[in-house]
Amino acid sequence: MAERAKLIRALKKHTNSWLILGLLGAAVILLPLVPIILGLFKAPNENWQHITQYLLAGYLLNSLQLVALTGFFTVTLGVCLAWLIAAYDFPLRRFFRWALLLPLAVPPYIAAYTYSTMFSYTGIVQKTLRSFDVTPNPKWFGVLSMRGAVFIFTLCLFPYVYMIARSFFERQSGSYIENAMLLGRGPAAVFFRVALPLARPAIAGGVALVVFEVLGDYGVTSYYGVHTISTAIFQTWFGMYDVDSAIRLAAYLMIGTVGLFLVERWVRRNRRFSSSTSKMRPLAPRRLKGGWSWAAGLFCGSVFAWSFLFPVVQLGVWASWTFESVFTPAFGELIIRTVSLALLATVIIMFFAVIVANLHRTNANPFTSALSRWVTAGYSVPGAIVAIGVLACFIGLDRVLAPFYAVLGLGKAPLVLSMSLVMLVVAYVVRFMATGFNAVEAGFERVGTKFTEVSRTLGFGMTRTFLRVDLPLIKGAIFSGIVLTFVEIVKELPLAMLLRPFNFETLATKAYQYANDEKIFEAAVPSLLIIGVSMIAVYVLNQVGKEAGE
Amino acid sequence: MMNNRSLLSGLAAALLSVSLLVGCSGGSKAVPAATTPAPAPTQPAKEQVVNLYSARNYPVDTVLYEEFTKQTGIKVNVVQGKAEELIERLKREGESTPADLFVTVDGGVLNNAKESGVLQAMTSATIEQTVPKALRDKDNQWVGLSTRARVIAYSKERVKPDQLSTYEDLASAQWKGKVLVRSSTSLYNQSLVAALIDTNGEQAVQTWAQGVVANMARKPEGGDRDQVKAIAAGVGDVAIINTYYYGQMLISKDAEEVKAAEKVALFFPNQKTNGTHINISGAGLTKHSKNKENAIKLVEFLTGEAAQAKFAAENFEFPVNTKAQKPELLKTWGEFKTQQIDWVKLGTNNKKALELLTKAAWQ
Repeated sequence: MAERAKLIRALKKHTNSWLILGLLGAAVILLPLVPIILGLFKAPNENWQHITQYLLAGYLLNSLQLVALTGFFTVTLGVCLAWLIAAYDFPLRRFFRWALLLPLAVPPYIAAYTYSTMFSYTGIVQKTLRSFDVTPNPKWFGVLSMRGAVFIFTLCLFPYVYMIARSFFERQSGSYIENAMLLGRGPAAVFFRVALPLARPAIAGGVALVVFEVLGDYGVTSYYGVHTISTAIFQTWFGMYDVDSAIRLAAYLMIGTVGLFLVERWVRRNRRFSSSTSKMRPLAPRRLKGGWSWAAGLFCGSVFAWSFLFPVVQLGVWASWTFESVFTPAFGELIIRTVSLALLATVIIMFFAVIVANLHRTNANPFTSALSRWVTAGYSVPGAIVAIGVLACFIGLDRVLAPFYAVLGLGKAPLVLSMSLVMLVVAYVVRFMATGFNAVEAGFERVGTKFTEVSRTLGFGMTRTFLRVDLPLIKGAIFSGIVLTFVEIVKELPLAMLLRPFNFETLATKAYQYANDEKIFEAAVPSLLIIGVSMIAVYVLNQVGKEAGE
Repeated sequence: MMNNRSLLSGLAAALLSVSLLVGCSGGSKAVPAATTPAPAPTQPAKEQVVNLYSARNYPVDTVLYEEFTKQTGIKVNVVQGKAEELIERLKREGESTPADLFVTVDGGVLNNAKESGVLQAMTSATIEQTVPKALRDKDNQWVGLSTRARVIAYSKERVKPDQLSTYEDLASAQWKGKVLVRSSTSLYNQSLVAALIDTNGEQAVQTWAQGVVANMARKPEGGDRDQVKAIAAGVGDVAIINTYYYGQMLISKDAEEVKAAEKVALFFPNQKTNGTHINISGAGLTKHSKNKENAIKLVEFLTGEAAQAKFAAENFEFPVNTKAQKPELLKTWGEFKTQQIDWVKLGTNNKKALELLTKAAWQ
């Protein structure tokens, strides 16, 4: 208690500590991105021409197509579901309200393997059909393609949009929507003319995560044979043994995506919707009648089944085949490690996310807005590329610290930090700042600055204003950010692969070890554990949300 | 109010951990934090260790490492990862690296590790005796642990083995719309093409690749097992796959997979010409190894008869030690003529292979 008071007093004294902390956080996050950006300034080598001539054009087009389709479907699905759940009441609505977040728990690459196996010749679908003497054309079930990748990404990623949009509809839009209805607008007009435009910042935040994730993905796309920019990056690196050109490609990708979102924000620069009243009336769901209510339930149910239930049940069946040979008591430790690492990184991410977002909101200038875009850049490139940047920084740091290590008696030029989990945690922070930050930012956007300004006018400092006024208002957004980030880290693969210390495994690396060798049945055990851990996180979010009076 | 309090204390906890982190990355006060796992394996400790960077991810590897520890008391520490990423890590770590051995699959990658200057020669009379010269680097910078063949799988129903002959023939008109193969992003395909470039020349292989693409039953997708399933499903008749995937399918836990594999047989191509394409997995001694003797001991152990028999039995790979016992399935495949290739070529031709495959629109 006393410590806390002291802490608050100290914070208050140095109001500018917000700026200092924000800059520090940004430095930690941006430093590992520097080696990537520097890649642009190296003279291109002889491979570059081949890359631009053969790889780039086609692959860029594939990437755009994948992003556009996935973006479109995740927004459609996410917003429709969010609106349905927020505005209407129907059977099982309360269950679906949180169950539709569960697909977040399923790593896309695992879903990709699961669905391709389920639909394959030996999978449950064709096998069942054959048992009825129906031999379908196997080409109908070809999920290993662009449409398959869009299918997988849509099912795994729509909750990003759903989560942020739902929370917006439920909490922020009540009075606008009721007024619109009072003024005689029909449900369609209310949705398209009022709810949707109001929710645009929230939706943009959610879809940004989707776009980042799709662009940075290599697992799903390489297995499904969809050649994207990521493919080009890895072909260059693994196939042509040319790291420099790979980093160069990644730098372009990063600048491109960050640029995209700067443009999006610029386009809606003049549209700020702050609430005009402190009593933000939650939207009261209207009861659906008869057939409509069943249709709504059925719609939610089928999305839930395809995105979560089917793959998880299938994984359960496979796990039962291999459980004995795969499961060891060591898995207990694996779970604890995975969870504690993810928690630590999440806490750090949320801390910086709040600081940078608050800084940007209260001192909006070109510098802070550029800063707030760049701290999320780590999410826009493949994890392996971020890993190189982090590795470069940490090895450099270890070199700098070598004299100090010598004093400690650790030997000549040892690698201490870069052989420790500190490196992995920092890498997580760099990469997943976006999930935390976007959630917090969306929270701030819907609150606006009115209350903050009043509080500051009444003589509260920035910190006190934040703790007393802002924090309670964006609590929901922070919880969402925590869960999104935590779940992302539990699922994370490429960083853990490249940056781990000796003998270190996470649930995801364990699952990869089997899946990479095309042993999906064995991979089912660790995959289910990932899903289980993430499910608990989503459930806790739901409970906490309830207590917080959502 | 309760909530505010818990949030506040959460925030305070966050601050603490952040200051810890910032302290570390900021520099001066860095004490290896609590999260640093105990002994940095480079430390001169009483415990004997050998540190591996490994891109081989098979469960049988772990079993063998444990056995090695039991026999010698030397602890095996492993970082598993992707080959090229581990090479990059080795390059950047330079002489500080804690790694003693670099283990991976693919001759081209092993050669790339050598070219990157992260390996050194290992001298061991035992290894020179047990591992044939052809399955080692010519400077002994790496030593083969096992080989695998990339062969033609065919439908027992629709293809007679005498229709099959060579990889080259897969581009001929008789296979129009019948060839199945995975993407050119797969290193297995890149190495096959790199080897073909060595024997047939770039021009011929370019024409061949275009022919294969024209003969494809569908756009490349999935892994090797998926090609076998596609034959069983009747999507195509012949596929290019690695031998051990077929072996794994025959012992699959899923009866349907076994049934699918049983509809398919393997053909070892190019027996009458220059031999079937094989690839190799191997271990290289890192240039800045600090536990050199232990590392060589481990390689000796892994190439020994007992360990080699285990590689073959558990993973259906071909042993490099000719004395090692082979499992039944490998015996039924019999002896076959293998491509005599300089492994260096897999590495040096890989870029050409990739360019050629992209030009041929082999997706």
